[in-house]
Amino acid sequence: MASSHAEYVKIVEEMFERKKEFRLIGQYVQRWDALDKILGRARFTADHAYFFKNLVYVHAVRAKYAHAKINKVDVSEAEKVPGVLKVITHKDIPGVNDVGYVLPDQPLLAYGKVRYIGDTVALVVAEDPYIAEEAAEKVYVDYEPLPVITNPLDIVSFGGLKEKEHTLIHDERGSDVIARFRILKGDVRKGFKEADVVVEGEYRTQFQEHAYLEPEAALAIPEHDGGVTIIASTQCPHEARRAISRVLGLPFAKVRIVVPPVGGGFGGKEDVANEIGAKAALAALLTGRPALVMHKREESIIGHSKRHPMIARYRHGAKRNGTLTAVEAEIILDTGAYASLGPFVLWRAIVHSTGPYKIPHVHTEGVAVYTNNVYAGAFRGFGNPQITFAVEQQMDKLAEELGMDPVELRLKNILRNGDRTVHGQLLDHGVGLEETIKKAVEATDWYRKRAEYAKQTGTIRKGIGLALLWHGNSIGAEGADYSSVTLIINRDGSITFRTGLTDFGQGSTQGLIMIAAEILGVPPDYFRVDQPDTSATPDAGPTVASRATAMGGNATLVAAYKLRQRLNQVAADILKCSPEDVEIHAPDVYCKSDPSRKIRWVDLIEECFWRGVPLQEFGYYRAPKAVWEDETGQGEPYFTYTFGTIVAEVAVDMETGKVTVDRVTTVYDIGKVINRVGAELHAEGGAIQGMGYALMEELVHDENGRVLNPNLYAYYIPTIMDAPKEIVALWVEAGYRRGPFGAKGLGEPSINGIAPAIANAIAHAIGARITSLPITPEKVYLTLKKLGKIKL
Amino acid sequence: MTQTQVQEYPEITITLNVNGKDFTVNVKPYERLIDVLRYKLGFLSVKEGCGRGECGTCTVIMDGKLVPSCLVLAVQARGKKIITLEGIAPQGKLHAIQKALLDTYAMQCGFCFPGVIMAAYHLLSKNQNPSEDEIKYALSGNLCRCGSYLRFVKAVKLAAEYIRKGQVYFDLKKVPP
Repeated sequence: MASSHAEYVKIVEEMFERKKEFRLIGQYVQRWDALDKILGRARFTADHAYFFKNLVYVHAVRAKYAHAKINKVDVSEAEKVPGVLKVITHKDIPGVNDVGYVLPDQPLLAYGKVRYIGDTVALVVAEDPYIAEEAAEKVYVDYEPLPVITNPLDIVSFGGLKEKEHTLIHDERGSDVIARFRILKGDVRKGFKEADVVVEGEYRTQFQEHAYLEPEAALAIPEHDGGVTIIASTQCPHEARRAISRVLGLPFAKVRIVVPPVGGGFGGKEDVANEIGAKAALAALLTGRPALVMHKREESIIGHSKRHPMIARYRHGAKRNGTLTAVEAEIILDTGAYASLGPFVLWRAIVHSTGPYKIPHVHTEGVAVYTNNVYAGAFRGFGNPQITFAVEQQMDKLAEELGMDPVELRLKNILRNGDRTVHGQLLDHGVGLEETIKKAVEATDWYRKRAEYAKQTGTIRKGIGLALLWHGNSIGAEGADYSSVTLIINRDGSITFRTGLTDFGQGSTQGLIMIAAEILGVPPDYFRVDQPDTSATPDAGPTVASRATAMGGNATLVAAYKLRQRLNQVAADILKCSPEDVEIHAPDVYCKSDPSRKIRWVDLIEECFWRGVPLQEFGYYRAPKAVWEDETGQGEPYFTYTFGTIVAEVAVDMETGKVTVDRVTTVYDIGKVINRVGAELHAEGGAIQGMGYALMEELVHDENGRVLNPNLYAYYIPTIMDAPKEIVALWVEAGYRRGPFGAKGLGEPSINGIAPAIANAIAHAIGARITSLPITPEKVYLTLKKLGKIKL
Repeated sequence: MTQTQVQEYPEITITLNVNGKDFTVNVKPYERLIDVLRYKLGFLSVKEGCGRGECGTCTVIMDGKLVPSCLVLAVQARGKKIITLEGIAPQGKLHAIQKALLDTYAMQCGFCFPGVIMAAYHLLSKNQNPSEDEIKYALSGNLCRCGSYLRFVKAVKLAAEYIRKGQVYFDLKKVPP
C-alpha cells in the first residue's frame, strides 16, 4: 500500500509540475448534460415514476408534537381504508431502526418518543397518493407532550458552555450536548494583556433552508433476490446504501442506489436519502411493488436538515498597529432534534473560527446541542459561513476602533506562504490570500468608494464592505478521505466515465471529464457519463466538502495518466518514435517531432484491443492524513485551504431599511481554474444564495417547535428581482501541489464570505452594525430608529 | 385488484391539445393538470417544485397564458391548447431561448429550466426586444436556487436578438454537445 500511495501522489505532483499548457483546462466548455436538460429530456428521480406500472405511494405520518412520549400507535383504522396496502411502523423494520449519520440517534420510524415536528411515526402505503394522505389521518397516536426546547441557550450557557438542567431530548444518550471542540493556543490572558484595543461582539445566525428546486424523492424496486434497487435524489449514493442496508438488514451488495440527475443539493441531499430511500425500500419490500416517496415542499422543509443557527461571542485583541494578539470565542450551534452532520459542522466551524489570520493566542470553543427544532446538518459552507459572519464583522469593528482601513488591518494579519495557521499547520505554498485582497480592492476601486461613501447624507446611502474567508478542502480529520473513478475507452474510441461522485448541478463531473480529456488528448464530447450507481460506479466517498474536483480530480488524473502511458507506448511502437514524442490530439495521434507520422485515435484504440492492452483504468487517490489534537485543536486539520476576498456594494434606504445589493465582487484562490464555467457559476450562485442568507432567509419555529414558514411563499429565497445587480468573479491561481493541476475546491467557499461582506457594507452605509442574520428591512429600520438616525 | 376499490369519484373524459396534438384522457375531478401532463401523457419536462404555484418549475402555456400547471385542474384544461418545453421547437431543433441559454452557459442543476424557458418563451412571443426590467419581471415567478439569474437575463436578450434576426430555430446537430 505504501508504494501505491507514493505512486499516485507522484503522478499528481508530476502533472502539477510538468503540465503548463492546456487545451481545455480553464476554458469555457459546455457541460456534458446541458443539452439533455435544455431539451427537458433529463430524467430526475420522480420522472421515473412514469415508466413503472403497479406503483405504490408512501406517505409519512409526521409527529403532532415537537417533543412527546408515544404511548401507543394504532394503525388498524388506517389499514382498513380501501386502497391502503400496508401501514408500516417501527415494528416492521427488519434491520436497525436508525438513519443517524454521525451518531446513531435518529430512528427512521419513531418509537417511545418524538423529538421534533418532522419525526415519522408511521408510513402509509397505498395505491394512490391521495388515499395515502387521507388514510394517514386515521393513524391514531397517543402522545404525552413533553416540554419543548427551541432555544439552545436553554441547553447550555455562555461562560464555559456547560450543560444546564433541562428535560433531556435524547434521554437515551444522557446528554443533549453532541460535540465540543476547541482551539487552544498560547495564553489568551497574556494575549489580551498585550492588546491595546479589545473589541467584543455577540453574533447570531439563523436556520437556513436549502430550498433546492427538486424536492427529495426516492423510488424503490424490489428485486428477484430479496434485494432492492433505489433510484434516489442524493449526493451520496454509497453513504445512502450503507444506511439503508442497515435498516433493511441486507448486505450492501443487495442494495443498489442509482442516482439520476439531481435538482440541487447544497448539502441538503447528503443524508436525507438515507431516510427517504429506506422508507421507499421498506414499502417496496413489504408490498412487493415499486414504491415512491416524493416529498411535497412542506415535507421537504420539515423533513431534511437545515443550516445550523449559531450564537457566538467573540473577543479580539490587537496592538495599536493592528497586529492581532488574541482571539477568544464561545460558539453554540443548534443542531435541532438530531445530530445529522452536526458534530462535523461544529468541527469545521471551530477549525476556521479565527479566520485566515496569524494569531499568537487563541481560545475558541464550541458546542453543538440538541433542541426540538428541525434538525440541522450539512449546508454549503458547513459551519464556516456562520463563524465568518462573526469574525469578519469583528475585524471591521477592530479596524474602526483602531482608525484603520479594513483592508490594511487584514493585510497586517493574514496568512501568507510560510506562515503557520492557528493550528500550527505550516502553509509552505499555495496561499493566494493576499493576491485575492489586492485584486478585489483594485477591481472595486475600494479606497475611493470607502472615502466617498462616508460623506453621504441622502435617503439612499451606499456602502462598501469586505470579508475574507478560508475553507479547508475535503473531509479533513472528519474521516476517511479517498476518491476513485473508472475510465473505460470503448472499442469505437468513445469513453465511459464512472464515479460515485454525484453532480447535483454544481458541475463537478464536467471538471472531471475535462481533466481526463486534457490528459488523454481527446475532446470532452468523447465522454459518456454513467450516472452514479452503487452497483457500477466505484465508491468515491461522499460528494460534499468541496471535494469533488480536489479529490475526484486527482483520482481522474491518475486513471487518465495511466491510460495515456499505455496509449503512448502502443502509438510509439506503431509510429516508430519514443513514447514521450507521441502527441494525441484526437481524432489524430502523431509524433511531435514529425506530425506526418500519424494514425487515427480509433485505429490506435483498435490496435490496443488486438494487442491485449487494457483500455480500462481505475483511478484512486487518498488524501494526506489529517491531524487533529482534540484537547488543543493543534495539528493539520485539512490538507489545503481555499482562500478568498469578497467585496459587497450595497445601497440602503434610510427611510425603509431596505438593502439593495448593487454588486458583489468575488476573488477566490482555487489553486487553478479547471472548469471555468462551473467556477463562475459557483461564484454567482454562492453570491446569490449568500445574499439570501444575509438579507432574506430564515426558517422560523414557534415556541412549540412548529415551523411557521414551511413553504416558498413564506420562506423567501432570492428571485431574479432580488439578486445582486452585478456579480464579478475573479480568480487567483496560487497552485496547490497535490491538487489536480494545482486545483482546490470552490463549492462551499463560494457562500462563506457573502453575508459578512454585505453586513460590513451595510455598516459602512448606515454607520451602525447589525449582528444577527437575516438583516431584514425591519431590523435595519429599527436599528436606525434606535440610533435616532431616522425620525419616522 | 384493489384498483377498483378506490374509485370513489367517477372519472371524466377530457380532450386537450398538448404541443399541437390532441389527447383524450380519463381524469378524476380533483386531478391536477401537472399530473396528467407528467404521468398520463409523459411530458416529463414539467417539474413539480412546490405544488402551490410559488416556484415556477411546472409553468406551461395554456391558451396563450402562462400558468403553473400544479394549480390548474385537469378538467379546466378541457379543450385548451397547452404548450410545454417539449413543444417549443420542431423535432431536431432548438428554440432561440434554448440556444441562448447554452451560449451563456447558464445550466446548473436544470430543474428550474423548463419553467424558466416557458416564461422566457412566453415573453419573447409577445416582445422581441424586452428591456432588462421586462425580462426580470417576466421571470420573477421562476425560482432558481443554483443562481443562474444573471445569465437568464443575458440569455433572453440574446434570444431576442436571434429572433429579431429571424433565427428562431437552430439545428440540434449544429449545436456543440
